[in-house]
Amino acid sequence: MITLTHFLLVSACIFCIGLYAVLAKRNAIMILVGIELMINASILNFVAFSRYDKTNYGGQIFALFAIVLAAAAVAVGLAIILNVYRQFKTINPQNIHELKD
Amino acid sequence: MNGLLNISPVYASILVVMLPFFGFLMQAVLGKKSNSGNIGLATIILSVCVSFFAVFLPVWNGAPLTERMHWFTVGGKPFYVGVMLNNLTVLMQLIVGIIALPVHIYSRAYMRNDPGIHRYWMFLSFFCFAMLGLTISTSLLQLYVFWELVGFASYLLIGFWFTKESAVQANKKAFIINRIGDIGFLIGIALVYTHCGTVDLGELFGPQGVFLPAVNADGSWLTLAGLAFFLGAMAKSAQFPLHVWLPDAMEGPTSVSSLIHAATMVAAGVFLLCTIFPLFNETVLLTIAIIGCITALSAAIFALGQYDIKKILAFSTISQLGFMMVGVGIGSWDTAMFHLATHAFFKCLLFLAAGAVIHEMAHFKATHQLDIDPQDLRNMGGLRRYLPTTFVCMTIASLALAGFPLTTGYLSKDSIVVQAFEWGFHLGGIYLLIPTTLAAVSLLTAFYIGRLLFKTFFGKFKFAEKLQKGELHDAPIAMTGPMIFLAACCLFPTCSFHPFDYHQSWLLGGFHVKTAFAAVAEMHSAVPLVLTLGALAAWGVGWRWYVAKRYPLSKNNRWVRFATRQGYFNEFYQLLFVKGTEQLSRGVYAFDHYVVDGLTRTFSAATRRLSVAAHWFDRHMVDGLVNLIAGTTYYVGHLVRHVQNGQLQSYLGFALTVVVLGILYLIIK
Repeated sequence: MITLTHFLLVSACIFCIGLYAVLAKRNAIMILVGIELMINASILNFVAFSRYDKTNYGGQIFALFAIVLAAAAVAVGLAIILNVYRQFKTINPQNIHELKD
Repeated sequence: MNGLLNISPVYASILVVMLPFFGFLMQAVLGKKSNSGNIGLATIILSVCVSFFAVFLPVWNGAPLTERMHWFTVGGKPFYVGVMLNNLTVLMQLIVGIIALPVHIYSRAYMRNDPGIHRYWMFLSFFCFAMLGLTISTSLLQLYVFWELVGFASYLLIGFWFTKESAVQANKKAFIINRIGDIGFLIGIALVYTHCGTVDLGELFGPQGVFLPAVNADGSWLTLAGLAFFLGAMAKSAQFPLHVWLPDAMEGPTSVSSLIHAATMVAAGVFLLCTIFPLFNETVLLTIAIIGCITALSAAIFALGQYDIKKILAFSTISQLGFMMVGVGIGSWDTAMFHLATHAFFKCLLFLAAGAVIHEMAHFKATHQLDIDPQDLRNMGGLRRYLPTTFVCMTIASLALAGFPLTTGYLSKDSIVVQAFEWGFHLGGIYLLIPTTLAAVSLLTAFYIGRLLFKTFFGKFKFAEKLQKGELHDAPIAMTGPMIFLAACCLFPTCSFHPFDYHQSWLLGGFHVKTAFAAVAEMHSAVPLVLTLGALAAWGVGWRWYVAKRYPLSKNNRWVRFATRQGYFNEFYQLLFVKGTEQLSRGVYAFDHYVVDGLTRTFSAATRRLSVAAHWFDRHMVDGLVNLIAGTTYYVGHLVRHVQNGQLQSYLGFALTVVVLGILYLIIK
């Protein structure tokens, strides 16, 4: 029997993987992928919790919105990465430290 | 000529003083080119002529003259400089001039060929200037200035042969001891000025010769002032116990000694006392008499044991000055002046004659290359055959000193002794000791001068076998001339036409001193008789001892040694003052070195230690604290800096950490 707890566990795993990707990857695209994973983990939570909202399906609706938003975000992110690459000739975030000082 | 004689005595006396000064300046400017002494001689001759004709003759027994002009003002009190002419001052000025003149003439021969002769003439003129100026000063301050100049000039002349160590020591000694007296004089002036408001002799004593402000003065300061002035006179006139400089002053040229001893230096003290005589009260006068008496006696005793011909004469001078002091002390200062005048002549002559003898002995010594002291009596004897003129002159002077009749010394010395006896009888009792001592000293005087005469001129010459014919002879006329002149002045007509009665003397007649004691008629015949007989007896003994060679005393007799060593006064002073001063200065040096410097050194060391400690504290504590704060801040900053490393992922990681911490906080809470 698959319960909410299992969903949450899977979601947490995906979130952690995404988190790990965001924190540890040496490629901006991979970080973007990690962000997508984390968004998806949260979307999974939305969907899982929408079971307790059988009247409006708010969770499922919100998930759809989130997916759309994520797609837009990815588009924006890729555009940023492209610009970053133009600027710095690299997309390794460790070599980009304009934020320092 | 008449017009010249009619110039005011005041200006004439200024001329008398300024002529030697002019001579001094001329010689100072000419320097070594002027070694003949003509300038000095010419100025002193002119000076004496002016002094006699234009000053002495018009003023003597006339009205006193005073001319003064404003010198400077202290507060509201004016000080004057000027000329005071009365019997006393013109007489003194004349004596100084008349004594200085033969000395100048004598010096031309005596000092010939001396390498420093130009200095000699310069100093001599300066000396005369100072002394002549001293005599006619109108205020005590002016007197003091000249007094100091006399002291300074004598310092120069005593140390004339300054390459000789003993001469240098002697002039230093003379100068230092005279300084002691000068202090006294200065204190006296200060006291008089404080209490009377003036130092002008005319204002102080008036024409009547009484101490004007004394009417309302109480006695104590007067005694003090009198003693202070007497201290000045004691040093200048070589009174016991400040007499030690005078025998040593024999290191100067003999002609200088004769000038110092006769009329200039030592006479200044007596002259001062006579000038300010009305200032003295009973106590001071008694002190003067006692000191004078002690001086007369002690110096006569010391003179007995001397072998140096000049030292005998020096002690004789001291002794005679003691007589003069007693004359002042008993209140009849006219006799002191009288004795000063007669003494000036015969003492000057004695020195000049001694100089002639020494001159010959020095020649003899140089010719035969002997290692003897030309001034030592023991090397002389029998000289009367070789130096007859000198012998005659010296005999006359000695007779005058011993007080034989027909000489001036007889008159003046008897005047003092007789008046001293009258004074003694007036006061009675213990006071008779002073005249008795004086009488005894008179006999001693006769004896020691007889000894000098006998040992020098009688008996057999010690180096007779070496003597070639005509080797020892009388001095040239330039030296004997002044001696003959002075010898003539030693005879009674100089000061009195009556050979046996001093009251007839024109010199005493000029002073009109009224004494407090009555005349004792017997004394006027008894004292001279006793003294003359005693002097004759003393010469008899001297003849027997020294000429007939029946000398009874051993050379090592304690008393003879005592007299020879001048009563051990020099040794005593050496021990007490010189060694004492040395010890004191050594002690003070040690104190300075160890205590004062030690303190400074300790303090500086302590300061250095303290500054080291302060430096350490500053570096390690104050700076340390600042550095610690700065270091800590820097370290914290260094640690925190890593947060801001510009790494996007790190930022996110931190954010995550904080979120995790927040969650943990929420959980734990």
